[in-house]
Amino acid sequence: MDKNNLYNIPPFADDDRVDGLAKVTGKAKFTAEHQLPGLVYGVFVCSTIAKGVIKNMYLAAAKNAAGVIDIIYYLNCPAVPGYKPADRTKNPNARDYTGHKVFFNNLVLSNGQPIALVVADTFERAVHAASLVRVEYDKEVPETDFEKNKFNGKLLKNRGEFLRNEKDAWKNAAVKLEQEYTIPIETHNPMEMHATTAVWEGDNKLTVYDKSQGPKGVQGELARMFELEEKNVKVITEFVGGAFGSGLRSWPHVHAAVIAARKLKRPVKLTLNREQMFTMVGYRPYSWQKIGIGASKEGKLYGITHQAVSNTSVYEDFAEGIVNVSQFLYDCPNVNTDYKILPLHINTPTWMRGPGPASGCFGLESALDELSYQLNIDPIELRIINNAEVHPQSKLPWTTKYLKECYALGREKIGWSNRPSVPGSLKEDGMLVGYGMAVGVFGAGRGGATAKGILKQDGSLLLQSAVSDMGPGTSTAMVKIGSEQMGLDDNKVRFELGDTDFPSGPTQGGSGSATTVGTAVMAVCDALKQSLKEMAIENIAAFKNLKPEDISYENGKLVAATDASAAIHFTDLLKQSSKPELQVSKTSTGFAQRDKYVANSFSVHFVKLHVHPVTGVIKLKHIVSVADAGKIISEKTARSQMVGGAVGGIGMAMTEETLMDHRYGRYINSNFVDYHVPVHADVPPVDVLFVNKPDNIISPTGAKGIGEIALVGVAPAITNAVYNATGKRIRQLPVTPDQLIG
Amino acid sequence: MINFEYVKANSAQSASEARIKNGASQFIAGGTNLVDLMKKGITAPERLIDINALPLKEISLTPKGLSIGALVPNSVAADHETVKTKYPLLAMALNAGASAQLRNMATVGGNIMQRTRCSYFYDTTMPCNKRNPGTGCSAVEGYNRMHAIFGASEQCIAVHPSDMCVALAALNATVQVSGTKGTRKIPFADFHRLPADTPQLDTNLQVGELITAVSIPAHSFNKAYYLKVRDRLSYAFALVSVAVALDVKDGMIRSAAIAMGGVAHKPWRLYEVEEFVTGKPISKELFTEAASIAMTGAKTYTHNQYKIKLGKAAIIEALTKASS
Amino acid sequence: MHMEEQHHCPRESRRSFLKQSTALAALATASPLLVKAAENEEKINAYFEKVPLQLEINGQLQNLSVEPRVTLLDLLREQLGLTGTKKGCDHGQCGCCTVHVDGKRINSCLSLAVMNQGKKITTIEGLANGEQLHPMQEAFMKHDGFQCGYCTPGQIMSAIGCIREGHANSAEDIREYMSGNICRCGAYPNIVDAIMEVKQGGQKV
Repeated sequence: MDKNNLYNIPPFADDDRVDGLAKVTGKAKFTAEHQLPGLVYGVFVCSTIAKGVIKNMYLAAAKNAAGVIDIIYYLNCPAVPGYKPADRTKNPNARDYTGHKVFFNNLVLSNGQPIALVVADTFERAVHAASLVRVEYDKEVPETDFEKNKFNGKLLKNRGEFLRNEKDAWKNAAVKLEQEYTIPIETHNPMEMHATTAVWEGDNKLTVYDKSQGPKGVQGELARMFELEEKNVKVITEFVGGAFGSGLRSWPHVHAAVIAARKLKRPVKLTLNREQMFTMVGYRPYSWQKIGIGASKEGKLYGITHQAVSNTSVYEDFAEGIVNVSQFLYDCPNVNTDYKILPLHINTPTWMRGPGPASGCFGLESALDELSYQLNIDPIELRIINNAEVHPQSKLPWTTKYLKECYALGREKIGWSNRPSVPGSLKEDGMLVGYGMAVGVFGAGRGGATAKGILKQDGSLLLQSAVSDMGPGTSTAMVKIGSEQMGLDDNKVRFELGDTDFPSGPTQGGSGSATTVGTAVMAVCDALKQSLKEMAIENIAAFKNLKPEDISYENGKLVAATDASAAIHFTDLLKQSSKPELQVSKTSTGFAQRDKYVANSFSVHFVKLHVHPVTGVIKLKHIVSVADAGKIISEKTARSQMVGGAVGGIGMAMTEETLMDHRYGRYINSNFVDYHVPVHADVPPVDVLFVNKPDNIISPTGAKGIGEIALVGVAPAITNAVYNATGKRIRQLPVTPDQLIG
Repeated sequence: MINFEYVKANSAQSASEARIKNGASQFIAGGTNLVDLMKKGITAPERLIDINALPLKEISLTPKGLSIGALVPNSVAADHETVKTKYPLLAMALNAGASAQLRNMATVGGNIMQRTRCSYFYDTTMPCNKRNPGTGCSAVEGYNRMHAIFGASEQCIAVHPSDMCVALAALNATVQVSGTKGTRKIPFADFHRLPADTPQLDTNLQVGELITAVSIPAHSFNKAYYLKVRDRLSYAFALVSVAVALDVKDGMIRSAAIAMGGVAHKPWRLYEVEEFVTGKPISKELFTEAASIAMTGAKTYTHNQYKIKLGKAAIIEALTKASS
Repeated sequence: MHMEEQHHCPRESRRSFLKQSTALAALATASPLLVKAAENEEKINAYFEKVPLQLEINGQLQNLSVEPRVTLLDLLREQLGLTGTKKGCDHGQCGCCTVHVDGKRINSCLSLAVMNQGKKITTIEGLANGEQLHPMQEAFMKHDGFQCGYCTPGQIMSAIGCIREGHANSAEDIREYMSGNICRCGAYPNIVDAIMEVKQGGQKV
């Protein structure tokens, strides 16, 4: 693998993405693009029922089709050691594998479940042969209908219920409302489809190219599943074509590729098709929320009751913190929440961009908007009145919180003063005009990570950590941190990732890469400087009698504090010390002050839109997204992340809905024709404003995280603007033209 | 996809002969619909007859009207100066369909032949009378938000997906076809079929017949508008669409041609509405009444009831836009 | 569970395996032989099923042999190692696979490779002139017209087509005529800025 030539190629302009050249020239190699000698192609056969038992599989036609090498299914699939119940005699905390066990038995638990893998010498032949497999089932009646069953959800132990002071206190408030909010299943649908290529060397050594947000996570899981030593599992996630959460864990196809490659003793590539992207790699669960909210006539919140139910599969409990936002986003004396999950015969959902708050803020921020009209108070003022100065439950301060600054910046930029206070009262070019806003929030923090730094005689710094970059620009941000710390030109710094041979890094998710990996990179840079100082004392006459603290490091140079003429650049120092390079690895630990602080990133999104008074067609005119995300490390990529979140929010608000025909328990729009993600024409100019004040409590990088807050709050900002334009309140996403006609 | 046989036709005649000789063969031109259908296993021709070498790529204007060769790409027709100036309704409808890339590939003949986008037609695991006659229609009691409100049968409630065809229907186009027995002209209104008891048949084309051109008569319309309402602002099939061409003088509608898309198994011509507005002065009330007439007799299902309201709104808006 | 042979796929058994003779011939001379192929003959059958194909890809003439069912996209990615052209849906619904055929942007996933006989194909790999990037590639870097980079080659190829076709005269125009290229990271506004700049720069694309 000649990875070093493929990404992070200088030169790039000051603020360009460091892997931009690889991406615009087509040289960036994504998972399914590594051609290996002897590679063969695996294609799944998937269940066409949602519940039942496989009675017969007719494989002859497929086996005899041209180019077919093998067909793996439950009757001939080698046992996966990790699918056995965990052995708790050795480790009492060992947990059973809860994910879907591929080709494990003849049970069908969801539609689109992989039930066989056809392996052939070419892609076309594998696809064709897979289409020849016929399956007979003993069908059972599946339960896939959320709406029909939403009151049958179950509470999760220790995390389902929350009470602050009085329960349902909102009912006693002067001004109050109770409403329900519904969000359908949304599917991540990154443009690159999930893929895995597995290569075995003998029975104990495995290399996997995988589309994943965490190579170390995949390594650990495969080591457990196949009883291998972690060091013998190498995972490569060099370029990841988006994921938005679908790559946070390993799915059945990863196991299937590994199983097939071992059985056939040759590399196997397994790429999902777009339909399978809906049934195998998670989705944002269907959710129903009910919010009761009450305030004084002056707008001071008195009580919030927030309930939610979201779906999971029948084989795994998946939960996300949908109702949590109501516990802390505003200062409210009485809050109670409960959250239940509802098992259905659908594959397991997973975290999707802004998991929890993305759904929860649609409920809460819509309810607040509704309340603002009842109170006749501007929605921004209402939020300022109820701003939480400290966390309302723990009374702890926030590490940093600049939400009020966000309101001020955004209201100016969007032209909030033009907003009509009476819905449907403003027209522009014959169109109804609406303005809306909503707040987004997500937990901030930092985890543990290790990074390696290699400083070379040619003046370059190579940084490495086993993390993924699914698009936000992690390598770019790390290069910025490395260059700033070491006083180097960006072009002299490289950040390598996506390979488990590098020091352990976190899974990319929850907006934590910049703080987590950045802190490790800063620790590496500090250690490099310290080592350089020691090296200078040891090898350079002018520094001989100094202590490290007597030497400063300035733009690559070591300078004696007492005598500025005693200075040497590290490149000369390395040469004169006969060291080709200086190498250090450093591990940084997680955010340790959770007992003293609460840490969140915040955003406020502002929307101006037009609604056609006759046809109900919505045309977004302008979005302003303001973020309190700490220090902005790389402005250009940070801005792109925010813009991307706005686009994701447009999809959530206006176009995305994964639809199921419950008679068959089968999706009917698992493609890009019928599952609408926003296209160019849907997206207006997006302005991004950053408060850009560092949070040095969470991490020395000053960052707080952007990925989630970019999307959280966008959908309610849009539906709030729709109400402002039309007087029609949208409580069930997505809002489509037929809901707004006339 | 089976590994079909691939042959190139060097004349319309030989193409038709080959098509008749092998019942499991199909013509291919742009391929944007057929290759998709083959990948999904909805159709599995043993032999593809590539007709791209046939000389059917001319656009010509005569005093009688416009003729567009069957192999003219959608984008070429849409950007053609004559089409844009003399038949703007057609240009607008063409540009409302698919994407720029697809319009570069898809041909005018192929667009006329494209099959429905009904989700149940596309999923080979589900019953569908159009794909697999006699298995039933999954849409009637299924999710039918996109489905027909006019001319459907209990056997099939799918809609025709084309935008271009809605304009062609309004403009009284004629489809020229050639077969082993010679050529014939099919009025656009008679080209596509309603589903009745044979939803597997989309058109009245005979086996072996090949579309060679579409011709649109000269007309006196001086106003036109194509309105497409969809779930996103581009690159999506219509919830409903309306093609309007008017001859307006001094605020009076002298003649009108109106058709709808997204409402029936074929482009849905609104003859009664045309008659109603003809000879009347433009007014909001006129358009509102016209919209009500248009929706008379509509039959809705569980999820497409909105199409009556949206259909009316779209007609009012299209008439307003066209006449302004 | 029983595993007996099942001939439940009649279309398979109807197939001819003497196909190479008719492959590129005019139809008048097409072989009338339709030999029934049993399922177990399929493997032999396959040997004959490839057809010769000549394409000019990024200025290089390629003499190939492909099954008719191979799409231009899979030919590029799986057989020629030109993985810059991406697969995002395989059904003409996302634009990731956009390439130029004789200078026009198309979806290579819906184009059978054999239908491109004798044509000039340009992929993202053929856009730069040596080290000199195409202006659109430079503009995408400058305006950060991507995040993950997966839809990027298709966006760039499409953007060039958009300008060539004369549909890049305003931001609104660009948005409409670029709507066949989906970007799930949501880089749309940056892409529009990049295209506007190239268009206004007036360079030949």
